[in-house]
Amino acid sequence: MKFAYFPGCKIPFELKEYGDSFEAIMKKLEVRLIDLPFNCCGYPSKNKNLEISVLSSIRNLALAEQQGLDLITPCKCCYGQFKHAIYFWNNRTDLRIKINKTLKNEGLSWKGETQIKHLLSFLYNDFGLLKLKHKITKPFSNEKIVVQYGCHALRPFSITGFDDPFAPKIFEALVNIIGLKNLEWSKSTECCGNPIYETNKKLSLKMLGSKLKTASETGAAYICNACTHCQIQYNFMVMEQELKKFQITPVLFTQILGKAMGLTKNELGIINTDLFNF
Amino acid sequence: MIIKALTIAISLSLIGFLYQFFSFIKTNKTFDKKKWRMKNLSIKSFSLNSILQTKLFKAGKIRWLMHLLVASGFLYLVIFHALDDVTSSYWFQYYQPTVDPFQFLRNLAGIFVLIGCVGFLCRRLFFFKKLKKRKIQFKGLFSILLILSIILSGFLLEAVKIISEPVFMEMVEEYSDIDEGTDLVDLKIYWEKNYNAVFNEPLLITPEKLAIGKELNENFCIDCHSPIKSAFISKSIAKALKKPSIWLNYHRIDNLLYYVHYFLCLLIIVSLPFSRLFHIFLIPVASLEKNLKKEQLDQTLGYINTATLYACTNCGFCSDVCSVFPNFLITKNINTLPHAKIESFKKLMNSAPVESKALYMLQSGNGECTYCHKCTDICPSGIDLQNLWVLLNQKLSLKGYQDNYTFINNLSLEKWAKLAPEKEKTSSTQGKTTQLADNVDSFENCIQCTICTNVCPVVEHDIDGNDYTPQQVLNLLRLGKKHLATGTRMVWNCLTCFSCQESCPQGIKVADIMIELRNNGNLRADALKLENFTKAT
Repeated sequence: MKFAYFPGCKIPFELKEYGDSFEAIMKKLEVRLIDLPFNCCGYPSKNKNLEISVLSSIRNLALAEQQGLDLITPCKCCYGQFKHAIYFWNNRTDLRIKINKTLKNEGLSWKGETQIKHLLSFLYNDFGLLKLKHKITKPFSNEKIVVQYGCHALRPFSITGFDDPFAPKIFEALVNIIGLKNLEWSKSTECCGNPIYETNKKLSLKMLGSKLKTASETGAAYICNACTHCQIQYNFMVMEQELKKFQITPVLFTQILGKAMGLTKNELGIINTDLFNF
Repeated sequence: MIIKALTIAISLSLIGFLYQFFSFIKTNKTFDKKKWRMKNLSIKSFSLNSILQTKLFKAGKIRWLMHLLVASGFLYLVIFHALDDVTSSYWFQYYQPTVDPFQFLRNLAGIFVLIGCVGFLCRRLFFFKKLKKRKIQFKGLFSILLILSIILSGFLLEAVKIISEPVFMEMVEEYSDIDEGTDLVDLKIYWEKNYNAVFNEPLLITPEKLAIGKELNENFCIDCHSPIKSAFISKSIAKALKKPSIWLNYHRIDNLLYYVHYFLCLLIIVSLPFSRLFHIFLIPVASLEKNLKKEQLDQTLGYINTATLYACTNCGFCSDVCSVFPNFLITKNINTLPHAKIESFKKLMNSAPVESKALYMLQSGNGECTYCHKCTDICPSGIDLQNLWVLLNQKLSLKGYQDNYTFINNLSLEKWAKLAPEKEKTSSTQGKTTQLADNVDSFENCIQCTICTNVCPVVEHDIDGNDYTPQQVLNLLRLGKKHLATGTRMVWNCLTCFSCQESCPQGIKVADIMIELRNNGNLRADALKLENFTKAT
């Protein structure tokens, strides 16, 4: 299998370990990732100007289509943004005409054939759970974990088509086959607060604090993330020294999956050696 | 006189260096009185990037090659040709400018620089237009043309000397004991045939005369004159100059060209600290500093090393990879792109008065940055660009240029609703608009059931901070008070988590409307700010 790899803007600087571990597990799963000269997905511009955000997405899709590739991204905000952009491109004729014109000036065009995959939806729907299970050589022994779904992939279902927005199951199923024990968590599908971190830091961290409180009450040791922005938000909490209070560690799904597949900590970009007793 | 001019040029250049050095020291201060901390230094990237231009190699192979041609060629010419009195003649006992390999290498180095400079010019002429985002800068063009004219004048000088009769006569007088007479004619014949010299008298070539000329040449000339074919460029120019040679020799154009060549070299020395060529000294400075990691971001906040700003050569690689390039395509704000931002940043640091409108554009452009680190990764000068954008944001907000969230947050809702920008477009009610908030159909079905409010995490955690709940915002729309709605805290604190939209029993696109209201609010805030700043200047 071959995909155009869309890391998004935050991975190269803020969350390098996510990119590293994602690439490592994809290599192990024999999925080839192709780097293309992508720009931002348009998610940050969504708040400022719809046209910019849709153009940004469609430009990336056009670049992937040129190579005849589908897109894969480990970030849920990028995933949601792409899905939204496709929706607007399909449904707003005037916007589509405008954007196609701008793209044409650059010698690009998009016919609408590129598919978007998120890491989780790819593993669950395309790669297959059974096949993935064969790749797992060192399963965990029933460690307790809760999962953070990430809103932009989950909602609105009519646009993203990721999973049931009220009772999602993909992430749990994936975590369970690694040997971890997924616990019920009431705030599993709630927002992490990252979208307003830069503008309203206090409120943003307050939200996360309440999430962490309920998560620690479930008795879980880890919160599992499969989204760049969610993990960054939890990392802010690490910096604020709040997490120690709750005895809970945010982890990246790619890192635990990588460990279960027998990858080394260097390949997965894990610095903290206490994490999963590496 | 020549030595005097050289001394003056070097002194001027040194004064320029000192001036630049102290102006960097002067502007190198913290914005908010924090203590300066040195960044981590990297000797490896310093040496690799300064000598081999490794980062440029990674960024673009052809441009690296062009740059290397110019750099290596020019460096050779400076060391072995320009400074030959103290270098070549000291290192090599047999050194003469007209002896191989020096004659050949000088031509080779010259053609290297020539090819590179022509490449630089072609890129400016053809590719800048194509992308529309670049403008030809005077500084860059000046340096290229200066180098180009030095090399061309050098080639011309050599060519004119080859054909020059007066130079030939001077040399004969100085280095041989040949008198006026047949011997001299024989040598002239030999030189006309083998060294491309041109004489203002008809010379009859016979094999005997040539043989005598050859002997004389071996006696007096050959030790200092290699065969002319090794000066492969100058020889061809000399051939082309055969026709006007009498005029050239009569007016001693060789002397004139010598002064032109020399003067241009002095010009490059004097202009060095203020021209684009200063990057030779500043790129090592910028490469010496390690790029910041995310954990270190707070440490150097507020401190700027101005020298790294000036290490920018405006090569434009950063803007080619910039993540928010599509933003520029729509907003047409050139300050979205790094290569333009850094130019504006320089102006800002120079404490020269900058128009407040220009600063507003800079704030607006810099606000689009997603901090993806691509510009820092590619920068051939090794500048930590991303850190500069963080600092730029800080500097601008200290000057009172805020983002729209802060701008609206500082206004009361009533004031916001009244403040309408002069040229605001009134939205058409013709039903043609695709805007949800302007289209009654999209929200008239709201039954004010409060489900959206109940699921909203912002409402849950920020009861006091929000003036309106999602359901109340929708009600504002139903009352036709969109201008009020665009300024509500709810709209600006919305996480865009789509819980409301997913839960709405009436299928109203609550979150989409929120985002759209924020878009409209941004548009309005931008217009208001622009109006204020335009008035201010």
